[in-house]
Amino acid sequence: MIHVQHLTKTYDDLQRGRFVAVDEVSFSVNRGEIFGLLGPNGAGKTTVLRILSTVLSPTSGIANVAGYDVVTDPAEVRRHIGFVSNNTAIYDRMTAWEMVEYFGRLHGMSASHLNERLETLFTQLRMNDFRDVPGAKMSTGMKQKVSIARAMVHDPPVLIFDEATLGLDVLVARNLLAVIRSLRDAGKCLIFSTHIMSEVERLCDRIAIMHRGKILDSGTLPELRDRHDEHDFEELFFGLLSRHEHADCEALQSHPDGLAPVDFTNPATSMEARS
Amino acid sequence: MNLTSQQKRKKARTAGRPRLSAIWLIYAREMRDQLRDRRTLFTIAILPILLYPLVGMLLLQIAQFTRQHPTSIVVVGTEFLTDAPPLLEGEKFAEGLADNNERLELIHYKWSDIASHSDVAEETSAWVRDGSFDLVIMVPPEFADSSLRGVDEKASVQLLYNVASDQSMVARDRVMTVLSAWRGSWIRDRLATSGVDMTMLDPFKLNDVDIAPERTREAAFWSKLLPFIMLVWAMTGAFYPAIDLVAGEKERGTLETLLCSPALRGEIVWGKLGAVTTFSMLTAILNAGSMLVTSTFVFGQIGLGGANAAMGSPPLAPMLWLLVALVPLSALFSALALAVAAMARSSKEGQYYLMPLMMVTLPLVLLPMLPGTTLSVGTSLIPVTGMFLLVRSLVEGQYATAIMYIPMVAFVTGLCLWMATRWARSQFDDESVLFGGGEQWELSMWVRHLWRDRQTAATPAQAFACGAIILVTLFFGKLAVTDVPTDFVGIAKLVSLPQFAMILFPAIMMALVLTTSVRKSLRIRMPHWTVLPLSVLVGFTLHPAYTLLARSVSYAYPISEEAALAMQPFVQQITDAPWVSIILLMALVPAICEELAFRGFIFGGLVRENGRFRAVVVTAIMFGISHGIVQQSICATFMGLMLGWVALRTGSVLPGILIHFTNNTMSVSMDRIMNSGWEGSQLLMHSTEAGPEYRPVWIIISTLMAVACLLYIASLRPAVDEAKADLVESDLEYIDPTKAIAVSM
Repeated sequence: MIHVQHLTKTYDDLQRGRFVAVDEVSFSVNRGEIFGLLGPNGAGKTTVLRILSTVLSPTSGIANVAGYDVVTDPAEVRRHIGFVSNNTAIYDRMTAWEMVEYFGRLHGMSASHLNERLETLFTQLRMNDFRDVPGAKMSTGMKQKVSIARAMVHDPPVLIFDEATLGLDVLVARNLLAVIRSLRDAGKCLIFSTHIMSEVERLCDRIAIMHRGKILDSGTLPELRDRHDEHDFEELFFGLLSRHEHADCEALQSHPDGLAPVDFTNPATSMEARS
Repeated sequence: MNLTSQQKRKKARTAGRPRLSAIWLIYAREMRDQLRDRRTLFTIAILPILLYPLVGMLLLQIAQFTRQHPTSIVVVGTEFLTDAPPLLEGEKFAEGLADNNERLELIHYKWSDIASHSDVAEETSAWVRDGSFDLVIMVPPEFADSSLRGVDEKASVQLLYNVASDQSMVARDRVMTVLSAWRGSWIRDRLATSGVDMTMLDPFKLNDVDIAPERTREAAFWSKLLPFIMLVWAMTGAFYPAIDLVAGEKERGTLETLLCSPALRGEIVWGKLGAVTTFSMLTAILNAGSMLVTSTFVFGQIGLGGANAAMGSPPLAPMLWLLVALVPLSALFSALALAVAAMARSSKEGQYYLMPLMMVTLPLVLLPMLPGTTLSVGTSLIPVTGMFLLVRSLVEGQYATAIMYIPMVAFVTGLCLWMATRWARSQFDDESVLFGGGEQWELSMWVRHLWRDRQTAATPAQAFACGAIILVTLFFGKLAVTDVPTDFVGIAKLVSLPQFAMILFPAIMMALVLTTSVRKSLRIRMPHWTVLPLSVLVGFTLHPAYTLLARSVSYAYPISEEAALAMQPFVQQITDAPWVSIILLMALVPAICEELAFRGFIFGGLVRENGRFRAVVVTAIMFGISHGIVQQSICATFMGLMLGWVALRTGSVLPGILIHFTNNTMSVSMDRIMNSGWEGSQLLMHSTEAGPEYRPVWIIISTLMAVACLLYIASLRPAVDEAKADLVESDLEYIDPTKAIAVSM
C-alpha cells in the first residue's frame, strides 16, 4: 500500500546550509502490517511521514500511497490516509463530536453515514463521556483519542502514527497500542514512528532504523537480530547508531575540509562526485 | 485493469479542483470558531456598539458644559460713553447691537470705581489673565472728549483679551461684531443729521446662496469622514481574524491537521479568506453604523446641526453606497492580511508583521482625504483611493461622473484583489512559509550562510534586496541633485552617474559577492540566434506604440508646467549634442545598466522557485519606479512587463538590452530622422507642433509586426529552466561524507 523509493528531502538551513533531512529512503509497507520507523529525535521520521501525508513535497524520489503518487495526486492520497502526529492538534473551541464530524464532512461523507460512523468510533474508542467537551478543556489522553477518531473517521486503508504516544501516560499509551493492533487485524496498512524501542519491539511487524535522514537497516525483528548477531534490541539499536556516527567522525577527521573521500573505484560514489 | 486505472486517473484529476461545499464547510467552521472566541466578539461587536455611544455621551456632557458657561464681559469707564449712540442698555448691550443677548454676561463699572483703589489697566488685565472675565472693554477718560476720539491713540477703546483662552477669543469675536454694529449706527446717525441720503451708502445688496442640494451639503462632510472610518476599521477588522486563523493555528498546531485532511490548499485559503472578509466587513459596518447612529443623536442634541452647519447629521440612505465598496476592499485587505499573517509562526509575530502592512495601505486611504482630490482618470487608477473617491461621488449624488469611472475603478480593484488572493494562495503552497523558521537567527551565522551557501544565481530574497537598494539609493540620489546642469558634460554626468553607481554597481557587487557565477546570475546567456536580430526589430517596431502610450499617459496625468520648464535646458542640450554621444548616453548606458540589474540579477533571483509571474511583474514595477517621474514610470512599467516576458521566454538578458537600446535610440533620434531629409522618414512620421509623430498607419503596421515577432519569441523555450531551479547547483558540489561509508558497509 505504501511504496517509498529513494525519497530525499533537503532544506536550506541558516546554521547548516543545505541540510539533507531525508536521504534516499526506500521502504514499502503492505496491508495488514505495522511498519515501525525507529530513530532518535531529528532522524527525519517526521519529515518522511509529512511527505507521505502530502503536507511536504519531496525534493526527489517517489512516494506512492494506496496507488496514488504524493506529488501528482496529493488530494487522493489524503483521502486514503489517516494521519496522527503530535503536530496535528485539535481545535480548542470545538467539541470532540464537532471536531470529528467536521473532518468527516471534509471527506465528503453523507450525514447519515457519518453519524453512524461517529457513533461506532466514539463507542469503540470510549469517547462518549467527553463528546461535548471543547478541545481546550480536554486532557492529553482525550485529545489523542479525538485525533485518532479524526484520522479514522473515513475508515482509511492507510494510517500513519507519528510519535503518537508522546506525552501519554502508560495507561493511555497501552490503549493506543491496542487500537493500532486491532487496526492491523482489520487489514489496515500502518506506519508507526517512535523513538521508544519497547513499543517497536512489541508492536511492529517490520522495523526500519533511521538516523540522520537515512535508513540504516530494516527488516523483521528476528532478521535484524540475526544480521547483527545481537539479541538485545536496545544494544542492537545503539550499536548500529554508534557505528554510523563513528564512521562519520572518522570521515570528517581524516578530511578536515569536511569532504568525504571519493572512491573512484566504487561506481556509486564516483557517479556522485562527477554529477 | 486498464479501465480501472483510467477511472482512477480521472477521479484523481477532479480531486484537485476546489469544491464549493468544502469551502463553505471551512468557512462555516472558521466563522463559528471566531464567534466562540470572546476576544474577537468583544473587539468586533461589543466594542463598537458601546464605544460610540459612550464617546457621544461624553461629548454631550462637554457640550452642555460649554453651553452653560456664557461669555462674560466687563465694560469699564461707562461714564465716558457720553455724546454717542447708546452702547449699553441696563445690563445688556443696546438693542440691535448683539443678536443673542442672553448668551453674554455683561457687567459694567465706572472708571472711577476701579481707579480709586488701583491702576485700571493692571487690574483689568489681571481679570482677563486669571479668567475671571473673558474680555474687558476699556473706555478711557480721554474718550469723553469727542474731539480726541478720532485722532488720539490714548482715546481709543481698548479690548483686553487672552489669545490662549478659546472663551476669550470667542468673546472678542462677538464684541467686535457688537462694536462694529455700534460704529455703523453711529455713522448712520451722523450722516442722517448732515442730510445724506441713506440709500447712497448701500449701492447694491449681496446675498450668497448655497445651491448645493441639502443632501450634498450634509453628505459633503460625511462622505469624506465615513469611508475613512470604514476603511480603517475594515483593515483592523481583517487583521485580528487573519492572525488568528493562520499564525494562531500554526502556533496551536491545528493548521497541519487541516493540511493533511482532504481539503485542498485552495479550499482552505478560500474558506479562511471568506471568514476574514466577513469579519472585516462586520467590523466596518458595526463601527460606521454605531458612529452614524450616535452622531445623529449627538449632533441633534448639541444643535451643531441645522441647515447651515457643515456637520449636519449624516444622511443615511446614500451611505448604503459605502457597502458596495466595502465588499471588494474588505476582501482585498483580508487577502493581504492573510498572506502576511501566513509568514508568522505565532500570533505575536503576526502582529509585528501586520503593522508595516497597515503603514503601507494607510496612505491609500488618506490620499482621498486631502483637500482637492477628486475623481479623475489618474486618481481612479490608484488602488483603494479610486474606490474611495468613486463612493464619495456616489454618496454626493454625482451619478454621471461616477458611472464614467466605474469600469476603471472596477478593473484596478479587481486586479489588486486577484493579485492579493494569488499571493495568499501561493503562501499556502509554500512549505517554507508554512513550516519554516523556528531556528535561532544570529548575524554572524547569517553572514556565514550568505557566503557558504552561495549559488549560481541570486535567491529571491537577495533579488528583492537588490531592487530595494537600487530604488532607495536612486531616491536619495534624486534628492541630492538640486539644479539641472546647463552644459552637456554636466548632463552626461547627471544621466550616467545614477545608471552606473546606483543601478549597475549594486547588481554587479551583489552578483560578485553573493553568487558563484557573475555570468549566470546576471543571466548573460546566448539565446537562440534568431532572437537577437528580432529583438532589434521589436525595439524598432514597438516604438510607435510606445510613444502612443507615453502620449496618452501624459494626457491622463499632465506634466506640471514647472517640471516641463525645469527640464527645458536638459532637453535643449540633448537636442544640440552630437548624435553619437546622445545615443551612447541615453540609449546604450541605460539599456546595459538597467537591463543587467532588472532583467538580469533581480529577474534571475525572482524567477526561481516557480516565480515566473512574480519575476515579470515585480521587475516591471521596480523598473517603473526607478524612473522617478510618474508619467515615465507608468510607461516604463508597461515596457518592463514586455521586457520581462521576453526575458522569461528567452532565458537571457541580451534580447532585453537590444530592445531597450533600440527603443531609446528611436526616442532620441526621431527629431534627427525627421530633419535628416531622408525621404523614407516621411512615410513613417510627420511633424506636428509637439515634434515629429508617427503616422497612424505606421503605428498599426509596426505594432502588428512587433506582435508577430513577439509571437515567435513566445514559441521559444529557454535553454535552462530557471523557474524550476529551486536549488541551482552550487559550484561546491555537496558531497555527503556518510555516503561513502553507507556504500562500503
